[in-house]
Amino acid sequence: MALIITNLTKKYNTQKPALTDYSININKGVLGLLGPNGAGKSTLMKIIATISKPSSGTLLLDGADIVQKPDTIRKVLGYLPQDFGVYPNLNAYEFLEYIAAMKGIGGKRLRQRIDLLLEGVNLTADAKRPIGTYSGGMKQRIGIAQALLNDPKVLIFDEPTVGLDPEERMRFRQLISDLAHDCIIILSSHIVSDIETIADEVAIMQDGKLITHAPQYDIIKQAEGRIFEVLLETNTLNQFKNQYKVIDTARQSDRIKVRYISTKDNVAPESISVTATLEDAYLFLTHKNG
Amino acid sequence: MQYLYNIIKADYLQRTRSYSFLITLAVTVFIAYSFVPPDTAGYTTLSASGYRGVYNSAWVGYVSGIMTTVMLSFYGFVLVNSGIKKDIETEVGLIIATTSLTNFKYLLSKQISNYLVLLTITGITFMVSIVVFLVRGTDQPFILANFILPYLFFAIPALFVVAALAVTAEVFLGKRSILQFIIYFLLCGVCMSFINNKGGNDSSGVFDPFGLSLISKSITQHINTNFHENIKSVSFGFIFNGHKTYKFFEWEGLNWTSVFIFSRVVWIGFGLLLIYISSLFFHRFDFNQAVTNKKKKLQALASLKPVQLINPAGITRGILPPLSFNYGIFPLIRTEFLLLIRQGNKWLWLLNAALWGAMFLVPFDLAYNYLLPVLLFLQVTRWSELVTKEKTNRIHYFAYASYKPLQRMLPAQIIAGILLAISLSLPVIIRSISASNIYGVAGLLNGATLIVLLAVALGILTGGKKLFEIFFFLLTYAVINKVPLTDYLGSLPAHHTPFFILTVLAMNLALTGVLFLARAYQIRHL
Repeated sequence: MALIITNLTKKYNTQKPALTDYSININKGVLGLLGPNGAGKSTLMKIIATISKPSSGTLLLDGADIVQKPDTIRKVLGYLPQDFGVYPNLNAYEFLEYIAAMKGIGGKRLRQRIDLLLEGVNLTADAKRPIGTYSGGMKQRIGIAQALLNDPKVLIFDEPTVGLDPEERMRFRQLISDLAHDCIIILSSHIVSDIETIADEVAIMQDGKLITHAPQYDIIKQAEGRIFEVLLETNTLNQFKNQYKVIDTARQSDRIKVRYISTKDNVAPESISVTATLEDAYLFLTHKNG
Repeated sequence: MQYLYNIIKADYLQRTRSYSFLITLAVTVFIAYSFVPPDTAGYTTLSASGYRGVYNSAWVGYVSGIMTTVMLSFYGFVLVNSGIKKDIETEVGLIIATTSLTNFKYLLSKQISNYLVLLTITGITFMVSIVVFLVRGTDQPFILANFILPYLFFAIPALFVVAALAVTAEVFLGKRSILQFIIYFLLCGVCMSFINNKGGNDSSGVFDPFGLSLISKSITQHINTNFHENIKSVSFGFIFNGHKTYKFFEWEGLNWTSVFIFSRVVWIGFGLLLIYISSLFFHRFDFNQAVTNKKKKLQALASLKPVQLINPAGITRGILPPLSFNYGIFPLIRTEFLLLIRQGNKWLWLLNAALWGAMFLVPFDLAYNYLLPVLLFLQVTRWSELVTKEKTNRIHYFAYASYKPLQRMLPAQIIAGILLAISLSLPVIIRSISASNIYGVAGLLNGATLIVLLAVALGILTGGKKLFEIFFFLLTYAVINKVPLTDYLGSLPAHHTPFFILTVLAMNLALTGVLFLARAYQIRHL
């Protein structure tokens, strides 16, 4: 299974396009989408989910044009939007049955499937309560369950770990790993560590354009030798920030440890080179192209 | 005061920057233009037993002013009574609750914002009234005061009270929109009845918030004096009486008394008093005190449970049963119907059941002409949410990305809505069948379909439910008053014809086409 996106452009009524000439090939496995706010991640996901039409460009799923024939992907799509809602008057069973009907699945074993999914997201005990009484994390879990209802071959998760506590996030990552074997998973998150743990490949976006798309290791390699740490006096931090792109700071007794991006020939005195992480690479690449 | 101004401004802009408001304004222009009918029209808006004033400044200005006051007092309430609800839905209310803004100032800002929305519409009708005078007026001189004064002394104080009542209703009745409409409607009815009965004793018009009694008295006195008649009162509203020949007279407007002008100030003070009293009972977005016992039990149950985590077993795809595909729409219709039934308060079903049962027992005309339109109107919030609830509840992402949403989801919603309408109309349908009234049955089925299609079309086109709610409110009012043009259920004998049935059917087909086209665009342009 492969999703081939070619020269995708999306213009709203504003002058700046949300996506510009965006091309990417997505294969089985987990693709992590990274980018600052307004980079076009959600727009791209909406277009793949067929709820937004591109201004130009093509999207082919196994050769089928999903812009012209959106129902091709809808049959095999699982989508968890960033700010989805629920019908508060329905309970979890009724809600999932409703979503199942929308997706065109039914049969005698639907109830069993819903039971197992609810068990998987640990909502069995609360399944007969109106969803309106659920907490944010519980709603997020019902969102995950609905995305898996139709045994999807393309899964789109837009900020899926929002509202989940640390343990739930860990379980979610395990779930994604389990699903990744035989389907395309596209995942966006502001939490780089989530992408770092889950994604096979990473695509970094900025201003509606694709900056880079590669396996995680290759992306991290692009920042190697560019990340440094130094201990500074607290009162010199502001001056330091004017000279270097600071990634992170951590207080250490009366001084401050600063992680920053630089070139080898412009390193601050007493700095040490450190191993780059995905977050470093992401900040390095968006800073370079910003 | 600067911050209060900013709150009012933001609230006003938020309400008026919408397609539905734009459509409301467009409809207002049309309605305002019809306040002063041409000589060839088959209706009138002020009827005085065969007499009508010549279209001078006073007649056009006062008729427009009084019609604006009365009509906006009715549907303006429905239009503006969701200011607090919006703050609850958007959770902006929670932010407001944490600020130092007092309850009174918050509610006052909502009331003023309501008022400004109503005044915007009033401003439009005022301008249209001048245009109408220029179009319809004969050689009469243009006197600006005759346009300004009725708006100043009728519309402005009355709408201030309406804006305050909308806030008060929201404070005391919360989200129970239907109950708010019913109580307000009854209140208006009582008020009108009081004016009609006591108007003769209240020569000052002090107790009349609309100013109807003053105009009525002035016109009847004028006619009785000049034409030696004994007319007791005049009728206001869209009165369809066919093309009628009138005797004309020249009416120069009212002599405003200081007592009446002072009474308008008192009415405005009454509006402020309502806001003050409401502020003492305002929930300030803390609903703990308002939750029902059932919800309390559920919350207690939830709080007793340990924090639950995702099952360590997680979801293993291999153990899920194989998929069975079912692309039929029956499951969707079932759930949509369930959602329709569950929407709103349960007490409303008691009222529905009572009206439904009564339609079997009362005389047929009463059931068809009055009870059924009212029963259907009681479902206004169910139908207005039929296609807007996805966006309100942010389900539209799922709905629009589902399999063939246009061919499955939308028809399911429409069918569920029509099923509800037909179920509620069953007593009248059964009685029509037993009386072999085929046109009646066809008219009822057509009407039930039309009202649902209107709800769907207006919901899709405006993205909100307000316009349909106002429209249905006015439509029901007109139907009960037997305005032929609005007889969507085909209850009037004159409408028991194939032509009428086919006309409504054609409207239904046209609406269906429009709403499908609009939805087809929407589902690909989120």
